[in-house]
Amino acid sequence: MITLRELTKRYGEKTVVDALTCDVASGQVTGFLGPNGAGKSTTMRMTVGLDHPQAGEVLVGGRRYAELRHPLREVGALLDAKALHPGRSAGKHLTAMARSNGIAISRVEEVLATVGLSDVAGKRAGQFSLGMGQRLGIAGALLGDPGTLMFDEPVNGLDPDGVRWVRQLMRSLATEGRTVFVSSHLMSEMQLTADHLIVIGKGKLLADAPVAEFIAGNSRTTVAVRVPADGERSKLDERLRAEGGLTHPGEPDELVVDGVDVTRVGDLVHELGIRVHGLAERTASLEQAYMELTASSVEYGVSA
Amino acid sequence: MTTTEVRGGGLAGAVAAEWTKFWSVRATWWCLIAGAALMLGYSTLSGIAQRFDDDPQAANTIALGGGFYLTQFAVIALATLFVTSEYAGGIRSTLLWTPVRERVVPAKAAILLPVLFAYGAVLSGAGMALSGAVKDGHGLPTTLEAGFTTASGMAGYFALLGLLCTGVGWALRSAAGTLVTVIVLLVPLPLIVASLGLPELVSYFPGIAGVNAMVEAGQPNPITMAPAPYAPWAGLLICAAWAAAALVTGAAVLRRRDA
Repeated sequence: MITLRELTKRYGEKTVVDALTCDVASGQVTGFLGPNGAGKSTTMRMTVGLDHPQAGEVLVGGRRYAELRHPLREVGALLDAKALHPGRSAGKHLTAMARSNGIAISRVEEVLATVGLSDVAGKRAGQFSLGMGQRLGIAGALLGDPGTLMFDEPVNGLDPDGVRWVRQLMRSLATEGRTVFVSSHLMSEMQLTADHLIVIGKGKLLADAPVAEFIAGNSRTTVAVRVPADGERSKLDERLRAEGGLTHPGEPDELVVDGVDVTRVGDLVHELGIRVHGLAERTASLEQAYMELTASSVEYGVSA
Repeated sequence: MTTTEVRGGGLAGAVAAEWTKFWSVRATWWCLIAGAALMLGYSTLSGIAQRFDDDPQAANTIALGGGFYLTQFAVIALATLFVTSEYAGGIRSTLLWTPVRERVVPAKAAILLPVLFAYGAVLSGAGMALSGAVKDGHGLPTTLEAGFTTASGMAGYFALLGLLCTGVGWALRSAAGTLVTVIVLLVPLPLIVASLGLPELVSYFPGIAGVNAMVEAGQPNPITMAPAPYAPWAGLLICAAWAAAALVTGAAVLRRRDA
């Protein structure tokens, strides 16, 4: 269980995390979503005491991270796979880590086997590929067998097999009753992994809901109708607006309608005696819902 | 969650982790080997020179020269890299493992202190033995007391010099900055202060104080050619004060900054 209360981080004039209040519950995978620069990594760094908040607090199991006697046995975090000495071997890195928190040294071999790095335990970490580095970071997070796990963009640099493996790992960790908090800027990834979503933009909380509820609340259905004749199309457009629908042009010859359902659009077409080449219902993907939700809060957006 | 309860963690855990980290990078071994090779090479060449020289020296003075002119730079590099290599990325791991930052600074110091003390004692002994054997009765004889003073002084000086470097390293977080700062503090700065008309202050800089700790009371310091105004142990006390000031500053910087 991770508890954020009015958590705030400013760098000079810029507020990166803005009075963030939410809970990350145990026994499920909580996806932490937001565009690049939304404040996800900063929030995670504050959770483990690497960054100091200006206001508010973040607690793990009711206590500040720095107050934990053996932090690695309670919280496992993969924040930055490059956060290690490139000249030290993977095995020695994990051995030092285990010693720091009084974790049995036998765990080092166990977690290396879990992430599939047993054969390269003696290899210097700086020579690891991005994917291997990511696996080593995950091994470190698992080392102390903690009840809370945090992963910042864990699938970066992994091949498709690795991505599937991480998904399964996170699901099984949650099934064991642990708190699993995973950040991503990809909705599609979270759709496959998470039970619950916390969405932030420009440091502010935008949504905090179960995935199913988020989908239901944010996806919209539109109707696309193709009318080849320009005059007929504008006639239909006029009529749909009168019905309370919002319309905008889609593909060439196409009209996209929001707020009038597909049967009604069909009836209106028939009533007006218009020649139609296509009539289809379109459900916005979760990805689109997420894009719309965060559209106004994109930090490094490209102006259209 | 099912981990069987094992003791550890806290400061003891931080020290244990730093011990593993210290010995598991190549830089440690390169610095120790380079420092030893410099001492042994200097002792051999100086011993040979004594057979022809009109400037007779004792074996302990030769070892002192090897330590101050050469080996101490390997010690500075070793101690500096032990801290500043963290800022190539590892600091985030270190602080995840040991979130109470006040423990990280003494944990590294606790590794360097005994290792560099032993290193200084062994190398000064080896330098004296080698140069004594090579010069084969030429130059000046070494008394047991003089030899002991040089060995204990070099042991203490290397250990405290290492701590000074870690303190500056924590404060500046850069290898280049730390090396320049420490080396300027050891050699050019005392010379500048002396030329500005304050020669009595020279003995209170860490490098000169360290050499004073290696020379018997009343004997001239071979670097400044003047006897120290205090006993050898006081030289180490001065080095300890510099190291403590650097460590306190470094710890304050580490505590306040985001990692």
